[in-house]
This record gives sequence, structure tokens and C-alpha cells, in this order.
Amino acid sequence: MTDSLLSVRDLRAAVEGFPVTEGVDLDVAEGEAVGLVGRNGAGKTTTFRAIMGLTAVLSGSVRFRGEELTEIRPELVPKRGIGYQPEDRKLFTGMTVDENFRLPIWTSGDARDVDDEDATVERIYDVLPDLDERRQAKVQVLSGGQAKMVAIGRALALSPDLLLLDEPLEGLAPVVVENLKGYIREINERGIAVLIAESNVTHVPEIVDRIYVIERGEIVASGDPETIADDEDVQMLMQGSGNA
Amino acid sequence: MASGLETLVVQTLNGLQFGFVLFLVASGLTVILGILDVLNLAHGELFAFGAYASVGIFGYVTGAIAAPVSGGIGTTIVFVIGILAAIVVTGLVLIPVGVVLESVFLRPIYERDQVYQLVLTFALLLIIIDVTKFVWGDVPIRTNSVYSGINQIPTSELLGITFPTYNVFAIVLGAVVVVGLFYFFARTKTGRIVRATAINREMATAIGVSTDRVFTLVFALGAFLAGIAGAVRVPPTAATLEMGTNPLVLSFVVIVIGGLGSLRGAFVGAVVVGVLRSWMISFYPPGEIAAPFAIMAVILLVKPEGLFGTWGETA
Repeated sequence: MTDSLLSVRDLRAAVEGFPVTEGVDLDVAEGEAVGLVGRNGAGKTTTFRAIMGLTAVLSGSVRFRGEELTEIRPELVPKRGIGYQPEDRKLFTGMTVDENFRLPIWTSGDARDVDDEDATVERIYDVLPDLDERRQAKVQVLSGGQAKMVAIGRALALSPDLLLLDEPLEGLAPVVVENLKGYIREINERGIAVLIAESNVTHVPEIVDRIYVIERGEIVASGDPETIADDEDVQMLMQGSGNA
Repeated sequence: MASGLETLVVQTLNGLQFGFVLFLVASGLTVILGILDVLNLAHGELFAFGAYASVGIFGYVTGAIAAPVSGGIGTTIVFVIGILAAIVVTGLVLIPVGVVLESVFLRPIYERDQVYQLVLTFALLLIIIDVTKFVWGDVPIRTNSVYSGINQIPTSELLGITFPTYNVFAIVLGAVVVVGLFYFFARTKTGRIVRATAINREMATAIGVSTDRVFTLVFALGAFLAGIAGAVRVPPTAATLEMGTNPLVLSFVVIVIGGLGSLRGAFVGAVVVGVLRSWMISFYPPGEIAAPFAIMAVILLVKPEGLFGTWGETA
């Protein structure tokens, strides 16, 4: 693949000393939307955490704009232009929606050339209008969908070039899922590359350009959304997921 | 004012004064515990080190500035500002001590079991006592001129009770530091970044927070506050080798009452312990040591997580 923004090669990452991914290869090009689909426990979250430097990488490489991320300190990864929405949101509870958006700018705004804090935060509310009325709400009182949006908005605060969304649609009401899909599409249309992990294969085809299927820590299939969705092996695999 | 009531008021104010000093020690201990997950047994020695360091700094100030014996308002203000400056300088002197303790000694063992941290911080406690003994000797040292100097300022008429002006000074100073500390964590960017790190260390990293720098900052802040506490405590008492033990032990009581890692809890706990201890000294001396522990025991039975939740979520 040419002009790859993110390039993961033969990634073996461990959780508490035990290898979870066994040689993941994937690429995301500039401005592309890519799905990483797999059952619970297949290694999606571990792959994301390894990209962010939050879990031990045993071998392999993670390159972002050509720079090897496994060799830099984890707090520098967001400063290079990767925004991360973790599966369990990990919001800064006790603080407001607005504070959750501003914290990344306070810590890393200089590194990302974010010179106008207010304008940057306004852009987040533009993309996620549901939160506009909830600016001063403490994040722990939000609904599940709103909380997911705050986690995504926070990941946008540093004007990233790549957004890692870990199960952004999971556990949400259908109407909220449709809303959120629209927002993710809009984020992508603004030129931000998106890598979305999902355990529900039906969620992603309409919002991504390509899909990787991960199983037992390895990429077992990849291709355009229609091909993957129609692939019988993939259907068999995902049906056995007991998707929670 | 009736003498019984006056005693109660005076002892409550004394307790408040001690409570503020205790809060300055316990707040550092609890924030370090909340963020670094380290129970710093050497924290009381930072308080003692501050006390010793302050004696020299106070000596310099009182040597340079006349005590307000004459009662002139100008000399009084200059003297009070001088003493305040000496207390702040003592806190500043402790910052590099805290930075070295954290970055050189504690950082290599964060990933280890907590037993290592306890052993290490206990070793640091013993080492700091020895260093203090080596530098200042094992005889208590005093700085009477500060206490008597501040007490020259007449406030008894103002309050309507007989109460040392220095204690009023210490209460006001303690209150200012408490307000400043809560403002720092609730309103400033740096304070909120520290809180975010306390709430979720990993997510803080994922938005670009250098946890190493936050750890050093928190330890430096704890040392600064302990230094100030030591300096405030010295004038009415003395700097002694064993003076770090009592505030450390009572700080444990305070943070158990307030909730492990809770700043607001530490404040409430420190005031409760300080005032209770003071009342006991006056009304039932045998209860002085037992009372704070009795409260702690009740809290452990009724609300084991402490009066307030984990810190970070509320400033």
C-alpha cells in the first residue's frame, strides 16, 4: 500500500505478560475509514492499545507517518496525531463535558499547533451537536450514547490525523447508533482517517472503505465491505461470537 | 465570657490550628497515595526537615528585621511579611528534596509490589532522621523570637479572649493555603491535569500527559506543603528529631477517616482530629491519643471507604 498513514506489521502484543495478538498486519491510508472486525477477545482492543503504547509490544512494528511508535514514550503518541476512544470510554468523571474536551488541549495543544482552544472545542460541538446543551454537565450523569460521544469528542480535541474508535456503537440504542454513524462519517469526510473496531459486522460496512477481520489475534480476512459482509466464512465466524 | 466557654473556644481554635498543620501533611500524603499509589512513610520526615530548615531561615529573617516591640504598624507589617516569606521559602527549600526522593528513589520501583515501596520509604525515613541529626544535632532547637515577636501584636482585645496572636496567624495562614490548594485543583489547568491523572492514569497518558512529570510535581507539592507545615509548627514548639512521627501517624488516621486519596476528606479528617485532640487535652487528657483512633475505628466499622470518595472526581 502506498502513502500509508498507519502501518502495523507482524504485531505481537501482550496483556499482563500473555501474548494476545499473534502477528497483526494492517494499514490505514490518509483520510481512509477502515474497520477492524472480530469477536470479543479476538485482539481488537489489544491492537489499539499497542498502537497507543499502552500495552507491551513483544515484537513487530507500528509506524505512523513512517515513525516507529513502539520506540517512543506513550504520551507522545497522541501528540503525533492519533486520537483514541477506548471501548470503556474512560472519561474523566467528576469533570464536565467541556473540561474533558479541553484537557487534551491543555496537555498537548502546543505539540499539535492548536492555538485557539475555544475554536477547537467549538468544532467538536459542531461535529457532535447532541453535546452542545450538555457542555457544563458532569460526564457521569450523561446517557450511554452521550458518554460515547464525549469519548470521541475528546479524541478529536487534538485535531488528529487518525482516530482509533474502539467499539463506538456497542451497547447503544438503534437510533443512537444511526446518529453516531452519521457523526463518524462526517468526521471522516473532514479528512480524518478512522480505524473502527467492531464486534458486530453489520454496523460498519456503510461507514468504512475497507474491513479487516481479526480472529485469535491474527488478521484472517480483509477486503471491501461488501465482499467481507458476504463472505460465508466470516459470517460463520461472527455468528459464533455470542456478541455481548 | 465564662471561663468554661472561653476554654472551649480557645481549645477549639488551638485544635483548628493543629488541624490545619495536620492537613498540610496529610494532604500531601493522600494526594501522593491517590496518584502514585505509594504510601510514603517518609512524609512525616519532610515535615520535620522543614521544621529544622525553618529555624535557620527564621533566624536570618529575625536577625534582619526588628520585632514589632514598639507596636508601630509599619514594623509590625514588615515583621509579619518577613515571617510569611520565611515560611514560604522553607516550603520552596523542600521542593528539590521531594523531587530527588521521587525521581531518584521511588521512580525505579513503581512497578514493584507495594511492600518494596513501604520498605524503601521506611528506609528513607530513617536516613532523613540521620541526616537531620548529622546536620543539626540531637538537641531540640527553637526560634523563640518568631513566636514572641508575632505575639507582640495585640489581638486579644479584638477576639475578646486570651489567645496567642501567633496561633491566629497560623490559623489564617492555614486557611489561605487550604483555599489555595482547593483552587489549584478545581480551577487551574495544571491542577485539573493532575486530577485527570488521578482519575485514570492510562487515559491521561493517551491524551498526552507525562505521568512522570505529574508524579514529580505531586511529590514536590507534597514536600512543599509539609515544609510549610514544619515551619508553622516550630515557633510555638521546637524542632526535634522525632517530631515527624506524630503527624505521620495522625495523617494515617486523617486519610482513613476522610477516604484514601480524598483531598476534601483529608481536610475534614484533619480538622476533626485536630479539634478532638485539643478538646481532650483540656477536658480529658487520657483521651488525647485514644480519641482520634476511636473515631477512625468507628469510621472503619461504619463506612470503611471513608467519609468522602476517591479524590480527583471532586476537587
